[in-house]
Amino acid sequence: MKIVLDLAQVLLIVLCAPLVRGIIARGKALLQRRQGASIWRPYAELIKLFRKEELVPPTSSAIFRAAPAVLFGATVCAAAFIPVLHASALMASRGDFFLLVYLLALARFFLSLGALDGGSAFGGMGASREALVSSLAEAPFLLGLAAVAILAHRAELAGIVAWTLEQNVFDISAVHMLALTSLAMVTLAETGRMPVDNPTTHLELTMIHEGMVLEYSGPSLALVEWSAGIKLHLMLALLVALFFPWGMASPNSSWGMAAALLLYFAKLAVLMALVSVIESAMAKLRMYLVPDFLGVASAVSALAVIFTVLVKR
Amino acid sequence: MSAGATGAAFVFLLSVLGLLVPVILMAVRASSARKLAVALILAALFAGCAVAVKGFLGQAVPVLDFSRATPFSFSLAVDPLSAFFLLLVSTVAIPVTLFGGSYFELHQPEPRRRWTWIFYSWFLLSMIVVVTAGTGFAFLAGWELMTLVSAALILVEGDSEERRHNVFIYLLMMHAGAAAVAAAFFLFLPFSHSLNLSAMRTAGAALPGGIRAAIFLSAFVGFGTKAGLIPLHLWLPRAHPLAPSPVSALMSGIMLKTAVYGFVRFTFDFLAGGPSWFGYAVLLAGAVSGLLGVLYAIAEHDLKRLLAYHSVENIGIIYLGLGTSLLFLSNHAPLWASLALIAALLHTFNHALFKSLLFLGAGAISGAAHTIDLEELGGLQRRMPITGTTFLIACCSIVGLPLFNGFISEWLTFRSFLGGSVLTNTKAQIVLPLMIGVLALIGGLAAACFVKVFGVAFLGRPRSAEAERAVEAPVPMRAGTTLLAAACVLIGILPGILLHPLVSLGQALIPGSGVPEETLIIARVIPWTAAIILGVVVIAVLPKRTQRMVATWGCGLSQLTSRMQYTSTAFSKPIRFVFTRVYRQDRKVERLPTDQPYFPVTISYRSVRTTSFEKSLYRPFVESVVWLAQGLRRMQTGNIQAYLLYIFLALVSLLALLRFQQ
Repeated sequence: MKIVLDLAQVLLIVLCAPLVRGIIARGKALLQRRQGASIWRPYAELIKLFRKEELVPPTSSAIFRAAPAVLFGATVCAAAFIPVLHASALMASRGDFFLLVYLLALARFFLSLGALDGGSAFGGMGASREALVSSLAEAPFLLGLAAVAILAHRAELAGIVAWTLEQNVFDISAVHMLALTSLAMVTLAETGRMPVDNPTTHLELTMIHEGMVLEYSGPSLALVEWSAGIKLHLMLALLVALFFPWGMASPNSSWGMAAALLLYFAKLAVLMALVSVIESAMAKLRMYLVPDFLGVASAVSALAVIFTVLVKR
Repeated sequence: MSAGATGAAFVFLLSVLGLLVPVILMAVRASSARKLAVALILAALFAGCAVAVKGFLGQAVPVLDFSRATPFSFSLAVDPLSAFFLLLVSTVAIPVTLFGGSYFELHQPEPRRRWTWIFYSWFLLSMIVVVTAGTGFAFLAGWELMTLVSAALILVEGDSEERRHNVFIYLLMMHAGAAAVAAAFFLFLPFSHSLNLSAMRTAGAALPGGIRAAIFLSAFVGFGTKAGLIPLHLWLPRAHPLAPSPVSALMSGIMLKTAVYGFVRFTFDFLAGGPSWFGYAVLLAGAVSGLLGVLYAIAEHDLKRLLAYHSVENIGIIYLGLGTSLLFLSNHAPLWASLALIAALLHTFNHALFKSLLFLGAGAISGAAHTIDLEELGGLQRRMPITGTTFLIACCSIVGLPLFNGFISEWLTFRSFLGGSVLTNTKAQIVLPLMIGVLALIGGLAAACFVKVFGVAFLGRPRSAEAERAVEAPVPMRAGTTLLAAACVLIGILPGILLHPLVSLGQALIPGSGVPEETLIIARVIPWTAAIILGVVVIAVLPKRTQRMVATWGCGLSQLTSRMQYTSTAFSKPIRFVFTRVYRQDRKVERLPTDQPYFPVTISYRSVRTTSFEKSLYRPFVESVVWLAQGLRRMQTGNIQAYLLYIFLALVSLLALLRFQQ
């Protein structure tokens, strides 16, 4: 039973990923008083891309074709770490948050290599900028997670979530607020959203992620886009699991499960609305202001770690 | 294998490397002699592996005592710690020798080639002597031989003013370091009846605090020089690129590790930890070396210099683990201390594997494309698929990506940092978890750097005609790199094979420790992760796709050229811009002719990066030494009466001292 539930959680994150992107895009459209596309459009786009033929630059190597698959594999594996409906997941009781973060790094490493294999200037530009953003985002990401893990006395995500569930909602400490702040900033940077990257731009001065995937087409592009969606969904789900897990059910009651599913979508909807508002309200930061943004996130996460000493007793 | 057979294998190892191979090479000049020498070295290394495995499992401790044959007490012994490092030397040297057998034949003319092999053999011997030394004199003899032979290997490769200058700096720093190492040994003498390792271990428990601190500092500085800790790293990016690639692989992959061995031997085995400032000092040195090492590496585009700076970075990561372990020891947390020590030792082994693989890859590149300047490379993956794939595995390993060996040791280091939060000492409780951020930053920057290295050298279009004509390396060279790559993946997916014996080594070095739970967790979780990723990747690539080759769109130009790709320098520009204070670049832009500033005929641009260590740390030190020497020169008048006076004064003062003491 538990294994079925765990697999269902992974499928939930993977299969609902395009929907999350669709809803955010629709939310932005509403805020900008446009009609916007249907929230199901990302699915149609994926299906279309999977059916199309793939164009490959003649100068590229096997890495160019392997990179999207590795990216997808590592991202799906990372999705298996996130507890969604109950305080466990396929890998959550075995693997810890360091493994989760480094799986995302594995995915990014191969995407950057694929970008450089295209042989054009845009791939290199995107990879170079991604290298800057991701190398600076890793420290606040791990420190923010470490702060919560120190409070919970365990490093496995399942353990952290189980510990948080036992706490009272009103006992939220400064550590949690600081960690949430830094992880939310990291989420925006890691998933290439405003104000770090603009997911809708194709202007060479500003693009990061879009620059990297410019040479991809057909099924490869579908895998890349789907992975980006999964990453966005899993980061939001991670925030929910770490900071707002209340409502998760025990695996035995099917009614509890249904309630947990509804509650999860409600929490996710709030986060998606927030992302839409941020994307509509903020301008993209200048490239060299991004390190400052991540520097603030690093400082906040370091404070979170320091404050654990005061909170723990 | 019985104890006698182990001893025989050990003697075989030493005699082949020390005597047989050089004698054969000196006596017979035919190429068959070199083939025989390579085969003998490989056989000896396999014997070394067998001895090491036996010693590692604690089943037999062969002791070879040469004290009667040498003026000093000189013996070799293989206890578990020695055995671990003997295993490291032997296993890593096998693929390197395999690679070298083909590399030296192709890239060195005859008279040099013979000497290279002789010194190569002695270089291996010296490192084996260092890690198996049973007495202080054996250690120091091996240590000195190691320095001299490696310098000889650099000098055999060529002769130029710059090379001699860099070798001079190498020798100078190594001897300063060796003096500190010798001091660390001799400081034991008043308290230990001999410099036998076992006697020093016994004496170590009862040393007064001041002497402990002096021994620790001498060992820290002495071994830190060899390991290349910043600011003692100055020789490293100078010496490594000059040596032929297999020798660079040995120097960076193994020779640096002998320093880690010495430091672990002194601080953990002899001193058994110390006050908490030992730990903080090592932690600080590790953090500074790790961060600055990787930042300097990113700015390089000479592949071997870049890799040399990454050695500094990885030594930093190893020292982060060692410092954490010392800090736990001083806080009486032996279980956590053993976890951090295991992490550091495993990273030592992993770094030996992937760094020698990277240097061998650099050798294969220079053989195929006749340059290791990243700006001249590109598109090699299509031309050298096997070399490229093994190089990619090494890149993933050094970055610490899951499923590769570097991740296992970095993960263990991360977990030991996290363990700092359980301590009762508030300072350690804050500092250790914050180190997670430092290691994460190091890891992130390393990932950026190796995306650059692999992406610029192996992917995209070739940036020069030489790179365009590159062909795959010969079979023995590919065999060497493939073996190392296979080891990286094997340890990365099944870490238990090394972690299990390392846990017992940790128990032997840190009394009162058990089996850290983390070592079991990682061995259990990684195969699952690998299975999931591979499964999903197979599902993703399985559906049949139609593909068409189409040139990349040139934005309206008829064709893209390789000059439109991002270069190594361009790729690292954002990071260099953000960390601009670290680099201190001197830029020179010259426009000629000078009377037409707006219509120059030629513009030359030069940016020189001098590390501030040379200017603000080494320069004043060297100047003060020279000043002191100049002052002392005044004593040397050449006048015989003056010398008689010195002798007389010395005699009088000695007599006075004797009288005074009575």
